[in-house]
Amino acid sequence: MPETRVLFRHIDDPQLATIEGYRRHDGYKALERAFRELDPSDLLAAFEDSGLRGRGGAGFSMGKKGSFLPRGEMRKYVCCNADESEPGAFKDRELMMKNPHQLIEGVAIASLAVGASHAFIFIRGEYWEVADILDRAVAEAYEANYLGPNVVNSGAKVELVVHRGAGAYICGEETALLDALEGKRGNPRLKPPFPAIEGLYGGPTLINNVETLSNLPHIVNNGANWFKSFGTEQSPGTKVVSVSGCVERPGNYEVELGIPSRELIFDLAGGPAEDRRVKAWFPGGSSSPVLTEAELDLPYTFEDLAEAGSMLGSGSIIVADDTVSVPELALRTARFYHHESCGKCTPCREGTNWTVKMLERITRGEATPMDLEIIASVQENIIGHCLCVLGDSMAMPVGAMVAKFRDEFEAAIEAARRPGAGDFDLSPIDRPLTTGVSAP
Amino acid sequence: MNERPQVTLVVDGLEVQATEGEMLVDAAKGGDVEIPVFCYEPKLGGPVGACRMCLVEIEGIPKLQTACSTPIRDGMVVYTGTDRVVEAQNAVVEFLLVNHPLDCPVCDKGGECPLQDIALGWGPGRSRVTDPKRHFRKPAPLSPLVRIDRERCILCYRCVRFSQEVAEDEQLQLLERGASSYVGTFDERPYIAPFHGNIIELCPVGALTAEAYRFRARPWDIEDAGSICTLCPSQCNVKFTVRDERVQRVLARDNHEVDNGWLCDKGRFGFQMISSEERITTPRLNGNRADWPTTVATAAQRLGSGERRIAAIVGGQVSNEEAYLVQRIVRGALGSPHVTSADELPAGPVARLSAPELGAAISEIESVESVLLIGADPLNSMPILDLRLRKAVRHSGLRLVVASERPTALDGGAEETARYAPGDSADFLTALAAELGPDPAPESPHAADAERLAGELRPGKTLVIWGERLGRGPRGETALGSLLEIVGALDCSAAGGGVFSVPDGSNARGAREVGCLPGSGPGFASVEDGRNLEAIKQGLTDGELDGVILLHADPVRDLPDGPGWARALNRARTVLSISCFEDASTKAADVVFPAEAYAEKEGTVTHPDGRLQRLRPSVPHPDDVRPIWQALAELAAALGHETEIDSAPEALDAIGAEVPFYAGLTPEEIGGTGVRWQDRPEASAWATPDHGSPEAATAASDPGTEPAEGLRLGTYRDLWAGEVTDRNVALRFLAPEQRVELAPADAERLGLGDGDEVEVRSNGTGVRARVQLRERLRPGAAYLIEGTATDNANVFSRVRSVEIEKR
Amino acid sequence: MSSEFRQPAHLIAPTDDLTAGERRRLIESMRPSDAEGVPELHEVDIPDELREQIEEMMSRYPQLRSASIPALWAVQRHYGWCSPEGIRQAAAVMGVTPAYLQSVASFYDLFATEPVGRHRVLVCTNISCWMRGGDGLLEAFCEASGADAHEASHHGASSPDGEFFVKGFECLGACDLAPMASIDARYYGPLDDDDAAAALDALRSGAEPLPDKALPKRAAAGGPEPTPDPRLEGTDVA
Ligand SMILES: Cc1cc2nc3c(=O)[nH]c(=O)nc-3n(C[C@H](O)[C@H](O)[C@H](O)COP(=O)(O)O)c2cc1C
Ligand code: SF4
Ligand code: FES
Repeated sequence: MPETRVLFRHIDDPQLATIEGYRRHDGYKALERAFRELDPSDLLAAFEDSGLRGRGGAGFSMGKKGSFLPRGEMRKYVCCNADESEPGAFKDRELMMKNPHQLIEGVAIASLAVGASHAFIFIRGEYWEVADILDRAVAEAYEANYLGPNVVNSGAKVELVVHRGAGAYICGEETALLDALEGKRGNPRLKPPFPAIEGLYGGPTLINNVETLSNLPHIVNNGANWFKSFGTEQSPGTKVVSVSGCVERPGNYEVELGIPSRELIFDLAGGPAEDRRVKAWFPGGSSSPVLTEAELDLPYTFEDLAEAGSMLGSGSIIVADDTVSVPELALRTARFYHHESCGKCTPCREGTNWTVKMLERITRGEATPMDLEIIASVQENIIGHCLCVLGDSMAMPVGAMVAKFRDEFEAAIEAARRPGAGDFDLSPIDRPLTTGVSAP
Repeated sequence: MNERPQVTLVVDGLEVQATEGEMLVDAAKGGDVEIPVFCYEPKLGGPVGACRMCLVEIEGIPKLQTACSTPIRDGMVVYTGTDRVVEAQNAVVEFLLVNHPLDCPVCDKGGECPLQDIALGWGPGRSRVTDPKRHFRKPAPLSPLVRIDRERCILCYRCVRFSQEVAEDEQLQLLERGASSYVGTFDERPYIAPFHGNIIELCPVGALTAEAYRFRARPWDIEDAGSICTLCPSQCNVKFTVRDERVQRVLARDNHEVDNGWLCDKGRFGFQMISSEERITTPRLNGNRADWPTTVATAAQRLGSGERRIAAIVGGQVSNEEAYLVQRIVRGALGSPHVTSADELPAGPVARLSAPELGAAISEIESVESVLLIGADPLNSMPILDLRLRKAVRHSGLRLVVASERPTALDGGAEETARYAPGDSADFLTALAAELGPDPAPESPHAADAERLAGELRPGKTLVIWGERLGRGPRGETALGSLLEIVGALDCSAAGGGVFSVPDGSNARGAREVGCLPGSGPGFASVEDGRNLEAIKQGLTDGELDGVILLHADPVRDLPDGPGWARALNRARTVLSISCFEDASTKAADVVFPAEAYAEKEGTVTHPDGRLQRLRPSVPHPDDVRPIWQALAELAAALGHETEIDSAPEALDAIGAEVPFYAGLTPEEIGGTGVRWQDRPEASAWATPDHGSPEAATAASDPGTEPAEGLRLGTYRDLWAGEVTDRNVALRFLAPEQRVELAPADAERLGLGDGDEVEVRSNGTGVRARVQLRERLRPGAAYLIEGTATDNANVFSRVRSVEIEKR
Repeated sequence: MSSEFRQPAHLIAPTDDLTAGERRRLIESMRPSDAEGVPELHEVDIPDELREQIEEMMSRYPQLRSASIPALWAVQRHYGWCSPEGIRQAAAVMGVTPAYLQSVASFYDLFATEPVGRHRVLVCTNISCWMRGGDGLLEAFCEASGADAHEASHHGASSPDGEFFVKGFECLGACDLAPMASIDARYYGPLDDDDAAAALDALRSGAEPLPDKALPKRAAAGGPEPTPDPRLEGTDVA
């Protein structure tokens, strides 16, 4: 089954990133219509009716979230979450780099829908060159009066600032993003109050992912029913899926939600190298509990993956083939969250750091099977006890790895403890580098 | 204060009544259910939900919730002991101990450590951690007063939140991220700020300890004694930690009505002077040690022969009882009318401003709409007031309006600020009064500023806080006259808004209410007019007065024209000084009574907002020191004036008998938290006495000599310029050296730069100082510090302008 | 790799390294003026363009503190790292304490709170890149630059000649380029170990490193040619 390109339509048109190129494909039609003809509450209704679910991780209904913001005159804000720092995720990067105006149009429409006059795109600092492209596009949009004090002379005001982060995964968590945007350390806030009620600078704030917002112009143009004609009932629409790891053609693929995961990994991304097999795969970024080869046929939807005890998350598949050591995979995963934990709450700060120390002992041959028990129970002690879900984001996959690949852990412990084993070598074997399609 | 409804919730099967919106942890206490907390500390503002120690199960909510951040609702059903909750609590304790060293045996916090208690009560009781803990240098000095042991830190953020959100000095920060986060400062600078000692008390572990208290005592061999800190007018409620009859530590004794539970570093670390070797501990006659009977007799004989030619000055440290007895001795026994206070004010206007219907409680700052702060920088004279105002601005949307000579520490949070030149306060007040008054304002250079400020102040919703220095000097009467007009125009009343003043002396209000002002006896009763400070100085100098009684007063250091005072005291035939320490004024005294330190005193003091508070003797008197009320009663008797006062409470009774609005006050009624006399029925006995109305306010200011490139001289009291700093070894490093503050423009004109050594001169006299540029300073003025140990700015008397030259 | 804590060396010195005497002298050396409140502008001499940049940033946001990250970027661009002096200057312009800005700077991985090499090479060693040889690539960059490999894999290391700063980094959001690196804030990949030396040589000679492996050169992966989808008829929107 091939891609279904809605957000990615014309993605290969080198002119797409310019306002002319975008307009050539009827860009900003939706914005003009929305600002000139449509009523904000109808917009929200349409988004809710379309069933569009957040593409950033939580999968919450975009329209519903928008409707949580109080109506009426007050300082409200829209924040586009472009922090994309979850290992395995790189879809927003492509959407912003290749089609920045689609996002800007979406942000403006969202602002109109919730009555916000200030919008921000919080982009991770590592995406410097992408942010440059966004800045250029934003300037063009101001130039063309798609942004500014009086958007397309509708009387509505939308100011948009591209705010560059400086390297902290936690800033993707919506309330941490707000603190970072307010110029503080990016620590998550206590919820409630939720951003929709008390967000940026204490004002009602809508926070959505890049891909979520990029969908809005299409819904405005073609209607909710059209949108629902893609995907499944609970997971309508298309999804840009980042596939990486042990596959021949890693990259972003836009597909209808609901296609079998196997097709994404094999037909589109080319699957593992010859005579290698899929050993474990993360269906929704490194924070989703790993699945096994046996689970490859799961339909790629929010509901099916949840049912299988994992999640679709941001829609990023990482494939590990049979050459990959799961204990080392667990360590890499844990290290990431340990490094990225903001340190505000105890279970996440100490739990990630303790877990890393124990996993490192496994690779150093200083662990006993007893430690596996402790690692497992520490993961349980983290889950559900943290201020935000970063802690859970380590505990769930690591917990799943220990549970599903226990014998491999035990073998690793044994092997490493064997006299003279030295430092147990877990580095992956060489494999030919991917053949990425290069543009002429 | 809006009343919130009472609701009922069920905690562990127990019905609990509590106020709606209250946090679950607090509500649970009502049902005797303790929920463990680390990061939760209401004094710091809203909950942060960081430590996760307080997780509980709430019916209908799948995830465990943090009780510290869950406002209660009616009918809420809560479980704090289910398996899930216990597992969570064990987990959090275990996590906290992953990095916390188990060095309790050598930890100062041992025995009074929340982490110890919670680990015992809610922990798993065993450790599964075999991995190494993180290491930091320990214990590193965070400041000369505080040590930090970062290995013990459990990252609850209380200390950094204090620095960010309470003191707002923002010096103490969290650095790095995640498990490597640590508490620190910019570029490893020391954390030195007026309130930083509070972080020691906030820290739930032994990470922050007091340099002075380390290894001094264990919780089980100390006693706590509750009293009042009288080192400044804030009169914070304190607990003295006493071991071996010595004060080892001072802790806050939270009293929301007074101190919000905070202490300034002066109060927290200023206790060393109590057991200082430098204390005067025996009576003295002509410089020689003497016994009490002889000393009292001699004092009586020398003062007695002076007849109507004896004066008395009481300082800020006095108790009401002491002040009352002194004025009684002078007026009653010696028949002399010359009684005043170092915080002297014109009796007429100040009496009017003290009327109960105007008096605001300090806690009302948190409920009024706006505050007009005029002529005071609380940080210097009444530090805790600074915190209270910050809190109100931050949490209750207070609109703060500041008018002052010098920039104040609170300007940052103010809606509007106005600067007037030194000496112009009276004019400014007149202009503001006119602006707020009914008829069109007359021409004034201050009109524009006055208009700006007036715009922020709504009648009936404004609290006026005024610095008592406004009432000093030749134009003080005028100034207070205008202030009264302002208060009238804003119709300040206890009902909405109100008034109170910021004195220099701790018990200035008490002293004047029990009769220590010229022409104003106990309860502001109109009595024969006497000499004011200036006239007393004159009288002593030219021999019209024979002698003076100084009670906790050091005019040579603390009053304008120090040299003049030195001369005056040396000329005086007799000087009775009642003082804890040998100071510039006791040098000139032929009779000296050793004074009690505040921790030794029994008696009462009156807070600037009218709250009477109780001083409780917490440590025994050293050597020959005795209660001063007693010595004074004996002195009176020796002068043939029997007071029949044989105990401090009897002295209070005597006061009550003469001060109608203090009538019937007893130590029991005052109790541990004090009573505002305005809140007692006896307040109705108040009758604003007639001391003659103040001269009509005039816009004209006395010209004074002003050389071309001369700068107006302003002087101020720095928090750390004074005896307390000098007498406490630990605080000495804070004693400021004289500096002259200049606006960059003026400095440039004079060719001066930051840090230059200069001489500040005016007709003959001069002091050495270091230049400090301040951008927010009003050009045209230079500011010096009063009360410094050397180069004291009070060598200048009635000087309006100065020249500055490089040295 | 091990995950030691990131701490300034002086702080992890052995716990008994301060003798009572040293501690007393340290305490005695502390002056109230050493405490760092909000610096006044005249106390810092800040280059005009840096000051203007920061003021421009402050003007962009409803609340000026939002400019703290942009201001730190400006400082880092100007000095090559967030130096204490630079932080003080920014603090003076913004009217906040340097401690506040340092606290923010030290939270984020991309701000250097110690001096670093001129060109910044961040090599992704996270899951996807690791599985495709990210560790080897990091070592290659260390060899080619002379930066300490162990240090580089923790908090980064600079080459002896100060030309390069090499750091093993968490996922950079370019797993499709795995293994990849961010060189002076531009993405390159997929790289093999020889690319490391080539890239550094190019940088030394002021040329653009590995032009044909630069991210912008890369088209969307794309699968089999999409068959026309009726639902997309006439919905010709980008
Ligand atoms: C630790 C953490 C990291 C996250 N990172 C991102 C991110 O990089 N991008 C993103 O869009 N959402 C991220 N999220 C989810 C956001 O919190 C939020 O749910 C989302 O941006 C909402 O937008 P959506 O409803 O359009 O998905 C993260 C959440 C957590 C807990
Ligand atoms: S030093 Fe104490 S108060 Fe400060 S964060 Fe650590 S444990 Fe909390
Ligand atoms: S006390 Fe509730 S989270 Fe810390």
